[in-house]
Amino acid sequence: MHQFLKEIQNRFPIHDVKEQRKNLTLFTTEKEQVVPLLTHLRDHEGFTHFVLLTAVDWIEEDLFQLTYILNNPEKKVDLGIRAYIGRENASMESAHHLWEQVATYQRELKEMFGIDFPGSPRVDEEFFLEGWDDIPPMRREFDSKKYSEETYFPRPGSKSHDPGEYMKQKLYSDDYEEEE
Amino acid sequence: MTMKKKNDILSRLFGKEHRPQENKHNQPADADSGKSSDAGKGGGTGSVPGSDSGASGEAHYSDHNHNIAPDHTEDKYPRNGKDGKPEVDLSSGKYTKVWQGPNHPGVTGNMSLELTICGDEIVDAKTHVGYLHRGFEKLFERRLYMQVMPTCLRMCVPESDTNEYVFSEAVEELSGIEAPEKAKWLRMLVLEMSRLQMLLRVVPGQGGAFGLGIGVQWGMYVRELILDLFEELTGGRIYHMYMLPGGVRGDLPEGFRERAIKTMDEVYRFAQRIDDVMFNNSVFKKRATGTGYIDPSWVDRFGIVGPNARAAGYNRDVRKDHPYLLYDQLEWEVPVLEKSDVYTRARIRWMDMQVTADLIKQILNKIPEKGSFKAPTPNALNWRIPRGETYVKAEASRGEFGYYVVSDGSAYPRRITLRGPSYTHAIALLEKMLIRTNIADVGAIMVSLQTCPPEIER
Amino acid sequence: MSKLKDILSPFTAWNNLARDPVTIKDPINDRPGAARYRGFHQNDIEKCIGCGACESICETGAIRMVEVDEVETKEGDSGLRPEVDYGRCCFCALCVDICSTGSLTLSNEYIWVDEDPEAFTFVPGIDKKPWDNNQDGWKKPEPDYELNIKERVRMPEMQAEERENSFVEIVKGYSREQAIAEADRCIDCGLCQATCPAHMDIPDYIRAVREENLKEGFRIMYKTNPLPEVCGRICTHKCEDVCAMGHRGDPIAIRWLKRYIADSVDENEYQEALQQENPKDKDKSIAIVGAGPTGLSAAYYLALMGYSVKMFEAQPRAGGMMRYGIPEYRLPYNALDQDIDYILSLGVDIQYNTRVGKDITLDALHEKYDSVLVGTGLHAGKSTRIPGTDHEHVYQAVDLLREFSKGNEIPISEKIVIIGGGNVAMDITRTLARLQNQKYGQVNITTTSLETEDVMPADQEEIDEAREEKVNLKPGWGPQKIEIENNKIKGLHVQRCLSVFDENGRFNPQFDESQTDFFEGDMLIEAIGQGMDISYLSKSIRDGLDFTQRGRLVVNDYFQSKQEWLFIGGDIIQGPDVIHGIANGHKAARGIDMYLRGDLRYE
Ligand SMILES: Cc1cc2nc3c(=O)[nH]c(=O)nc-3n(C[C@H](O)[C@H](O)[C@H](O)COP(=O)(O)OP(=O)(O)OC[C@H]3O[C@@H](n4cnc5c(N)ncnc54)[C@H](O)[C@@H]3O)c2cc1C
Ligand code: SF4
Ligand code: SF4
Repeated sequence: MHQFLKEIQNRFPIHDVKEQRKNLTLFTTEKEQVVPLLTHLRDHEGFTHFVLLTAVDWIEEDLFQLTYILNNPEKKVDLGIRAYIGRENASMESAHHLWEQVATYQRELKEMFGIDFPGSPRVDEEFFLEGWDDIPPMRREFDSKKYSEETYFPRPGSKSHDPGEYMKQKLYSDDYEEEE
Repeated sequence: MTMKKKNDILSRLFGKEHRPQENKHNQPADADSGKSSDAGKGGGTGSVPGSDSGASGEAHYSDHNHNIAPDHTEDKYPRNGKDGKPEVDLSSGKYTKVWQGPNHPGVTGNMSLELTICGDEIVDAKTHVGYLHRGFEKLFERRLYMQVMPTCLRMCVPESDTNEYVFSEAVEELSGIEAPEKAKWLRMLVLEMSRLQMLLRVVPGQGGAFGLGIGVQWGMYVRELILDLFEELTGGRIYHMYMLPGGVRGDLPEGFRERAIKTMDEVYRFAQRIDDVMFNNSVFKKRATGTGYIDPSWVDRFGIVGPNARAAGYNRDVRKDHPYLLYDQLEWEVPVLEKSDVYTRARIRWMDMQVTADLIKQILNKIPEKGSFKAPTPNALNWRIPRGETYVKAEASRGEFGYYVVSDGSAYPRRITLRGPSYTHAIALLEKMLIRTNIADVGAIMVSLQTCPPEIER
Repeated sequence: MSKLKDILSPFTAWNNLARDPVTIKDPINDRPGAARYRGFHQNDIEKCIGCGACESICETGAIRMVEVDEVETKEGDSGLRPEVDYGRCCFCALCVDICSTGSLTLSNEYIWVDEDPEAFTFVPGIDKKPWDNNQDGWKKPEPDYELNIKERVRMPEMQAEERENSFVEIVKGYSREQAIAEADRCIDCGLCQATCPAHMDIPDYIRAVREENLKEGFRIMYKTNPLPEVCGRICTHKCEDVCAMGHRGDPIAIRWLKRYIADSVDENEYQEALQQENPKDKDKSIAIVGAGPTGLSAAYYLALMGYSVKMFEAQPRAGGMMRYGIPEYRLPYNALDQDIDYILSLGVDIQYNTRVGKDITLDALHEKYDSVLVGTGLHAGKSTRIPGTDHEHVYQAVDLLREFSKGNEIPISEKIVIIGGGNVAMDITRTLARLQNQKYGQVNITTTSLETEDVMPADQEEIDEAREEKVNLKPGWGPQKIEIENNKIKGLHVQRCLSVFDENGRFNPQFDESQTDFFEGDMLIEAIGQGMDISYLSKSIRDGLDFTQRGRLVVNDYFQSKQEWLFIGGDIIQGPDVIHGIANGHKAARGIDMYLRGDLRYE
């Protein structure tokens, strides 16, 4: 394990540490710890390059996973920090003051997942989706297929057949009895 | 490789211009860097050919050093509000709002800027995207992993191959498959060809943004030659769909090696000609030098990567820092310059272009004759990827380009998201940079950042 | 100075005036797509089987499998063909790369346009296009570039040395990982289902393996086949012959996956997994003659319908040829019993050691029961009738196999000659090889057939394994005469067989008298086929039945005979193999049900 991980472990509650590659380690921490941890990593561990922030919807567990990826340009390692927050009224402490581009990521997450970052600049401004009137579309319960079928007008085309079913009708419909 | 030989290659390519850089600015960012940076003052030792020690440039630099919205009192500029953004009182009659975009000006793509101007000077800028949001990351939810391949590459239109690569690599990593050696070489070839055709557009495009159209046509011609090679190798010109989890989709065609090596001569010739008409053009120099200055201390603060960081003195290149594929078997030096303006960034790309041509020749000579180009992979229709997550990155022409991929163990990805350089270059950074610049320079600054909206909104 | 240079240097652009233009003069004609170009589709209609793998991989939804007049639906070919909508196609060519047969390619045509938007949806290969014969364009890269695994997961088997003198089952069965990996190869086209005589829901139960939903897979199998333990081992797997994956690689090991599911459910979990019972709510009763696969299958489905079923079986145990023919090393008795016990547990009554026609007449059954099904199979071995076959040490394969299965002592000499090239011949050969090993510590068997090895009806794996077990195989010889000296068999005279069938496909072997051989042996076994014994059909019944000119019994689609109360199925009618018996039994059960409700007539 990297030396810095041991250091971090002494200061912050981290778990589920996974060394994915030599230059990429991921771990989980509590959501309250994220901003202090990011600050610590930036200021004391050389993780000065903020790579990305994104969310993963674990709808089955009613959780959003937030993943922050940082990079240490000196040591040339990446670090993935996971935190889980409830899906209901999802909200997370903002990290916009640490790197300038973080506010943009947070604005996107607000729009696409409905995760709020109170205090983050322009977090409520429309970003990609001007005039969107449905639920945040990256949430798993948003059914893009249904949405497009209801919103657009598919060009009617020929009917597609399942080969197995089609052969049943053509060749042996008589032999076959669906169970009631 | 000896240091001497290394320098030989570089000096052959760039003459005295090239200065290998120490990672001078690789310290944690100074959170408050409104102050002037030492880099501007003579820190840049990489001289511009033909310019005498860049004296005029320096004057400009100091002019622009206060770009990060300082809370000043001068009447001409609006005061900054609590969030650090200027508070514009439109009713005062001093300011005008203009929209630039979202028409597609060529290299910079469909996005628009909401500019607040005072005279012809910009006092506030907001980036607007959303004109080409295609929802790819949502679409992936109902794509089999193999079906992601032809979709994901559209996330970055002009340089689609990087998408193919990072996606394939991520799937391979999560499923414990390794692409055969030959596939790795072929992937590098395609990635470098992809970088090259992109640079052939952007380098002369910088002149285009100032009204110098002639190099653009030349670049397009050489780019077409590269696209011909792509067509031969991959079956497509723009969307190559050549890399897929497990390897690549074809070996080198007969005679390809020789034709490709010959084509590189055209690239060098083009580099020479664009040097003559653009880089040594007094008008271009005047417009580009000192314009669009990026303070080196912003690099980490804004997450600046690629040529934009390398023109500010940072030696950062994923190919070197996190060697992937077989890049560690190639010999080259990462171009780094320091003046950090439009001119320098164009120059960095011009150098990159030739390094890339050089790499392509090296790769072509190293691709093994024998061996398979695709590892066996399970039935594409039922391929379930073990639960896990990874972030895989590569160096695109614009810098660090990565995919974060999460698998829930099913045949469909749980989440794939793209980290593209423009996400920060074209929003946080551009919005800051434009303040106090002249409206006539906006296009040129965008080109110099190589903004690419499709990778912002996916 | 340099300032001046900056003003002058751009003028070098004028140099271009002296250069030749780089434009292509006539791009429409001078610029064909590259040899790998991904342009409009081509499809070799004869080669395509309408499996729909192309449709499944297409991420843009550009492909639809449509009916076309030019192609007929038949076994192994759905008759559907892919239609491509170029409003959607992104020219990725994944459809080409995954195409099961290699019929689909992309041409290098990219210039074609049409004023009518509908023209951009067509069926490649059916709707004729100018590029149909273009040689250039995207083809699946060769070799070893695949989007699936061509080779099936190898079945772990006992090695030749281990099995030489043992009747323990040779095939060991897939592990969980192996089964899932094999199930993953399936492209879910369903082409196999039409060919399976029982039309088992193959893709569905394979999916159950993949999704590790084995109880569900078990229920799916029982819908059409109540003998999955048996079929998972010894089915003739006609389905695998038409498997789409078989066109460019190994077909899916459908049989082994069936076995994997069947083996995964313990005997005591059957009730829980299947949740079935015989409601016995019908006041009609049915007699079934013969407890082979036909009879057992019919009994199962009739019991589930609520009928009282009574079976009559000449032998002391149920199973027919599955027990008394197929050797234990291929089909262990416990697997067979597991299937049979479950069927009988549904309240099916069976009376053993009762030969209809001898111990009880068919007419009596007709009187007592509302309907009768006979599935008595083929048990009378056929003879070559060459000189010497009447010798007491000339045996019929089926007789020996039956006796051995019953646990009775059978004669085993030191040198044996066997005549026959089918699977029965291999079964008796390999059974006797084991017994010779046990008794004499070595094998000395010559098995000879008319057919040369490439056309021998036995499965290739049977032939290979027999060789591994040190049997001397002599294909391509015609038996002429058994050499007998002092009333002892010495061996078999043979002549080279030139052809087995004549132009009309009739059995009419031709020999080369100049090429002869002699196979030594002191015991001789014939395994050239079996005939039926239907002497239980009394004259009055027989007179009311239809026969073909060649003397075959005629039944309708539901295996109902002209004597409408009498249903006949299995080897006597169709096959011969277990799965036909099962399918016939199922269909006959439905026929009987319809007949008893007054819904079915012979014509
Ligand atoms: C050696 C050998 C190997 C074989 N291997 C395979 C194989 O690997 N795979 C495969 O699919 N098939 C195989 N077969 C064929 C398969 O066993 C038969 O096709 C199948 O069993 C036929 O089923 P059936 O119901 O028609 O008749 P059978 O299985 O023959 O059953 C008929 C039953 O009726 C009983 N019976 C007959 N006459 C009377 C009567 N008058 N009164 C009462 N009962 C009577 C018999 O005792 C028997 O139990 C093999 C056959 C043999 C001989
Ligand atoms: S080329 Fe790609 S998009 Fe077009 S039909 Fe084939 S699979 Fe579909
Ligand atoms: S995958 Fe090939 S064989 Fe199957 S339907 Fe498509 S074109 Fe025909």
